[in-house]
Amino acid sequence: MNGWALFGPELFVFGAALVFLALCLVKSPSPRRDFMVALSLAALVVVAGLAALKAQGTLFAEAYRVDLFSQVFKVLLALGLFLVICLCSRLNGVEARHHPEFYLLLFICTLAMMLLSSAVHLLSIYIALELSSYSLYVLVSLRRARQMAMEASLKFFLVGITASAVMLLGLALLYGATGAVTVHELARILPGAADRPLVQVGLMLTLCGFFFKLAVFPFHVWAPDVYQGAAHPATAFIATASKIGAVAVLVRLAAASEESGTYLAHALVALSILSMTVGNLAAIAQKDLKRMFAYSSIAQAGYVLIGILSMSPDGYAAAIFYCLALLVMKFTGFLVLVAVAFDGANIEIAELAGLHRRSPLLAMALMTSLFSLAGIPPTIGFTGKFLIFNAAIAQGHLPLVLIAMVNVVISLYYYLMVVKAAYLLEPALDPPPMQLPAAVNVLAVALVAFMVVFGVYPQAFIEMARFAAAALLK
Amino acid sequence: MNLFNILFYSIALLIVVSTGLAVTRRNLVHAVIYLIMSFFGSAFVFYLFGAPFLAALMVIVYAGAIMILFLFIIMMLRVETPEEQLFPARQMWPAVAVAAGYLVVGALLAAHDPAAGAVLGPAQTEPAVFGAYVFRNTWLAVEVTSLLLLVALIGALFIGKRPTHESEE
Repeated sequence: MNGWALFGPELFVFGAALVFLALCLVKSPSPRRDFMVALSLAALVVVAGLAALKAQGTLFAEAYRVDLFSQVFKVLLALGLFLVICLCSRLNGVEARHHPEFYLLLFICTLAMMLLSSAVHLLSIYIALELSSYSLYVLVSLRRARQMAMEASLKFFLVGITASAVMLLGLALLYGATGAVTVHELARILPGAADRPLVQVGLMLTLCGFFFKLAVFPFHVWAPDVYQGAAHPATAFIATASKIGAVAVLVRLAAASEESGTYLAHALVALSILSMTVGNLAAIAQKDLKRMFAYSSIAQAGYVLIGILSMSPDGYAAAIFYCLALLVMKFTGFLVLVAVAFDGANIEIAELAGLHRRSPLLAMALMTSLFSLAGIPPTIGFTGKFLIFNAAIAQGHLPLVLIAMVNVVISLYYYLMVVKAAYLLEPALDPPPMQLPAAVNVLAVALVAFMVVFGVYPQAFIEMARFAAAALLK
Repeated sequence: MNLFNILFYSIALLIVVSTGLAVTRRNLVHAVIYLIMSFFGSAFVFYLFGAPFLAALMVIVYAGAIMILFLFIIMMLRVETPEEQLFPARQMWPAVAVAAGYLVVGALLAAHDPAAGAVLGPAQTEPAVFGAYVFRNTWLAVEVTSLLLLVALIGALFIGKRPTHESEE
């Protein structure tokens, strides 16, 4: 297969970004036109991703590896982009004349994540990571409520550049110790050099860049403010798609450093426990729905880390599967958020009161998504957690899994508080039933069906995740 | 201790001191000038290592182009120099603690890693060969950097723009 076909999805996303660059220059703002163009281009990106699913090969002087692993992640990213753009039909958190820029940055960020999932040269990985971070910083600042958005964007930026600096130091140490510039060279050299402190410190600091993206402790401090300060679709993108690229690189690096001894695994165990505990305990105290989602996603990042630190094919497959599950679960939560907060302002959890009478379908979607995030059967979230915990126990991480289970119980409390608000609390004054577009209803039904059906019959996706993990280790 | 060592350590000291001054100055113009000094120092270190091309790039690109641009921006925007300290001293402690942590880890690494004292082999090359390497082996990163600059430009436009009345909620 030639290079053009291998690089197809990325080129397509790049082309789509150029379309919006041109639309930025058009004088008259037309949100409807921008939305329709973005939606159709994003749908085509999904098609392009699926068409290139079986592609295989290397590009750019061995700096870029296209295999089933990367292609699966690209499809997930394309799906995330498409779903997030579905939320933008009434993008009233952002000024109408900035809509083309908003879509431009969404597409560029998706492109960066796609590059990230395939890049094996450390320099390319770093640059792609920076590209995705910078597009997100700007995306956050685009919100109409300027003061809040600016503050969030600056906090995001400051934590981000700190994480980048730490990561660069790690890369320098790693390069100084091994002389390796690609992930494959690392995989070859590391088993012999694993007990050297320089290598261990270098690896750990390098991973910090991805911990920032994934909002893992101690790089989680940006999450609540950024989730709160960004426009709803931008928050949805940060919560869903932007985690996927980071997981892809983390899994790839973990697979490369599998043999590098137990130090790395121990450090990851500590970070995973801290993330879960900090995220879950802080989430209990939240009143703002988006801040609650932020802390919940810090905790979820801890669960994903458990799959990665198992450092076994089953663990990687579980992490990939859980990525898909998280994408759908979190997105469903944001679908409800965007529908309820129709004027683009933030809402508190208490404002969900009476949702089951205003829109029974949305209330059910919210309940399914939260139950799935908490890991209650028969949802896809339960299956994902089951796979992750199973893989971790097989590698002898029983205490870690027990701590994770305690955390699952803690998280149940605040998820149930939201469900209680939606179902049991009575609003002060009776709001009218919500008039939802048919497309939102269809999407909500489809997402609920997805979470339940593939929670009960997950076999097809588990197989896919296994094949992807196997392609990684080849 | 030969001449090279003396030169290296004195320049290293110069770099550390001028960078420290650049970080702590409240007057932005002074900070930029100290940073230029630090870049000149780095250029000289590269020259000592036998990399004259990198040394020239350091002077031309960093000290020459980027810092002059900084000076232009500072002079054009007329950023007022805040007289008071930007944040209270107790907020410095976490930063000091983190920096001390790095210092300790760095010292431990230098003391315990068997390869810490190893002499790295020289990697001298012609500028043309270096350029060919960059654009042949890492051109994906080079191209993505151009996209990064585009995004940074958009960001500078939005974040640096003064708020208009219609954009207030």
